[in-house]
Amino acid sequence: MLPVLTRNSITNVCKGLRRFSSALPKSDTEVSKLKTEKLKREILEFRHAYPEFLPDPKIEFRNKIREKLERNDMVARRTQVDIPEFYVGSILAVTSSDRHSGGKSNRFVGICIYRGGCGLRAEFILRNVIDHQGIEVLYQMYDPSLQKVEVLRLEKRLDDKLYYLRDALPEYSTFDPNMEAELMPEGAPVPVNPIKVKLKPRPWLERWERQNLQGVQDLELPEKFYIKAAQVATPWEKYDLMKEYMRTIPVEEQTEIFSEVQSKLQSLEIDRKKLKRKRVIVKPTKLA
Amino acid sequence: MLSSCLMKQTCSSIIFRNFHISYQCLEIQKLTRLRVVDNSEIGKQAMAEGRPPRCIHVYNKTGVGRIGDKVLVAIKGEKKKAILVGLKQNQKPNVPKFDSNNIVLIEDDGSPLGTRIHVPIPTILRTILKEKTQTKGADYTKLLSIASRFV
Amino acid sequence: MATSLANIFHKCSVTSLENKFLTLSITCSVPQTRKKSMFPFPPPRLRNPTWFTKKNRSKSDEYLTPENREFVKEVVQDTYNKNLPLAQDITTNVEWTPKLQRTGVIARKIGIYPLWMKDGKKVATTLLQVLDNHVIHYYPPEEYQPVRKIRNRVYNKKGCLLIGAEEGDPTAFTKEYCGLFTESGVMPKKILSRFFVSPDATLPLGASINALHFQVGNYVDVRGKTIDRGFQGVMKRHGFKGMPASHGVTKTHRRGGCIGGGGEKGRVWPGTKMPGHMGNKFRVAKGLKIYRINTRYNVLWVSGQAIPGETNSIVYVYDTKLPLRAPTKPLPFPTYLQELDESMPEDVYDESVHVFSDPTIFFKGE
Repeated sequence: MLPVLTRNSITNVCKGLRRFSSALPKSDTEVSKLKTEKLKREILEFRHAYPEFLPDPKIEFRNKIREKLERNDMVARRTQVDIPEFYVGSILAVTSSDRHSGGKSNRFVGICIYRGGCGLRAEFILRNVIDHQGIEVLYQMYDPSLQKVEVLRLEKRLDDKLYYLRDALPEYSTFDPNMEAELMPEGAPVPVNPIKVKLKPRPWLERWERQNLQGVQDLELPEKFYIKAAQVATPWEKYDLMKEYMRTIPVEEQTEIFSEVQSKLQSLEIDRKKLKRKRVIVKPTKLA
Repeated sequence: MLSSCLMKQTCSSIIFRNFHISYQCLEIQKLTRLRVVDNSEIGKQAMAEGRPPRCIHVYNKTGVGRIGDKVLVAIKGEKKKAILVGLKQNQKPNVPKFDSNNIVLIEDDGSPLGTRIHVPIPTILRTILKEKTQTKGADYTKLLSIASRFV
Repeated sequence: MATSLANIFHKCSVTSLENKFLTLSITCSVPQTRKKSMFPFPPPRLRNPTWFTKKNRSKSDEYLTPENREFVKEVVQDTYNKNLPLAQDITTNVEWTPKLQRTGVIARKIGIYPLWMKDGKKVATTLLQVLDNHVIHYYPPEEYQPVRKIRNRVYNKKGCLLIGAEEGDPTAFTKEYCGLFTESGVMPKKILSRFFVSPDATLPLGASINALHFQVGNYVDVRGKTIDRGFQGVMKRHGFKGMPASHGVTKTHRRGGCIGGGGEKGRVWPGTKMPGHMGNKFRVAKGLKIYRINTRYNVLWVSGQAIPGETNSIVYVYDTKLPLRAPTKPLPFPTYLQELDESMPEDVYDESVHVFSDPTIFFKGE
């Protein structure tokens, strides 16, 4: 499911193209060609904000009609609830109706430590420390009892999953429940938070030294742990083309999928921007 | 302040057990160490001493404690009943999962020993405890009134 | 033997009887032991149904020019799918009653995804796409011969509808196989299946069946071929526990253990669970509720995620046989008899289902 091209490489190519196109005298066909190419890239950008629209790449589960029906349902749900762009590491506030507390709604603020699942099964986990007690909640993205999803701080972390926050010191997953949303200038790239987390001493829930984590400080383990980790590592897997092919959706199919839902998603995005009240841009402040 | 000190206590008690715990070990069964989160005298003492209570029986048919189940704990040489109010194991969607296995000590008639719970408790307990309370039996819903915060 | 008998009687000089005994002795020359039969009665004679013919033609390169290919295509188009009965032209003066058995349909299992109910609960549903079903042939009760002869008398004998699905290329099929479709005039189909129906519930040849043959809120039985898992051991095939990994156990970690006792019962009892082929058998999932129907793609959303077969495999959908889940309202009889047009909503939902384009659910307090 990992994108084959990174966001940076695409923007670089775009920039290069722009320079290229301005320098040369261009004919109409060339212009139209470049335009379609650009449109294609824009469509491909959707896979970062809407990863759950890509189906499960397992061949034995795929069926075009099912995927189309599923996408229609997802767009239909998105017309009712605004699910903004967010990533693992972003801080979210989720308001959901709670059947257990007599018709009241429940708001939970936390950092997204996991985002996964394809189609209507998409889900994410929020984590926070409240009253010195670490709490995690799993939310289903297309659950009709979800009232509102707000992104309080839009950023990424150095890793794809932040499960190691469970074994980290509590201050790294403590966030103020009354935190205000930080607004970002229009069209700015999503910042990457380079914070390195300090873990508590062992025992841990997982063997973090074997997972090649970027967002973790030195683990301070005896040498034998690293030797064992090197023994069980599979560094050749990133060169395994077949494996890569089996676990990703090809670019052509991605463009096909996103060009189908693109117009609807974009109109939803425009509606969201219209509805947004004009707020003063708050400088990002460190809370808690 | 108090709760943070308790937290440190539990952490230190775990650190000496120097082996990995897999996700199966997160479930509550007999001899699982639990954490008392109310302000009952016996619970506070047990946690402060670094000898958290042990589950010695789970009152259900599977023997694995789920959220809202009643357990029997061995605490400071006594046997007390308690309700599980927060679990480490994976939960269903929209139900919070906690970093520790929390209990609230109760009497036989369901009224809690303490007067305050100092960590959040899940709202699903409202439904579960209401279902478990029967008209002539123990009233477990008294526990809900001493909770300080719900998630 | 014959000569020895003859000698004895010759000595006794009973010549009058001699000839008689001779004839008798000839019959005795055949050994008198009978071979033990496997069945208490003569073994059943299985007879293939009439539509079991060779289906696919062996492929040969015919070196057709593109023009000729075009011509063949035209001929195929002109020959098939002509004068098929329209849905609104089918008339019946029989009212539906619970005792009448309607036809089933051929469908394809296309995947699983969740639906949410109005009370906020999530339900896993399987999507079954009803293919382009057409009636190929009808065998009235007196004409239909089952594969194995039924000895007992059958009351309320059912007729048999032969239904095909998924159009194929007629040039790829054999002549005999294409011949099955001449009567109905339907384009030859890749999949054929027979469904028993009450004689009153029969359909004219060439009639088509769509997803609205079923109604939301009703229950269906789904028959399919389970996933083929090959030769499997007892742990996977029958869910045995196996044996411990340690404590002196050698070479018997995944074996079944004892398969029978000794003494009088010293043999393997029939039906003992042992390793063997697992899967690739027809199984029926019964009593599944229909939550939603898509009229555009002919898709049924059916409860449950354990319907036999892989994704993209063929399944057969019937009205349920379970008495407690029998339909309460009259069903479309003999099938849905109106043409699908734009006025029809694209999706039909059961009343308990939350529609994705409906507003967010708010729970009511007590």
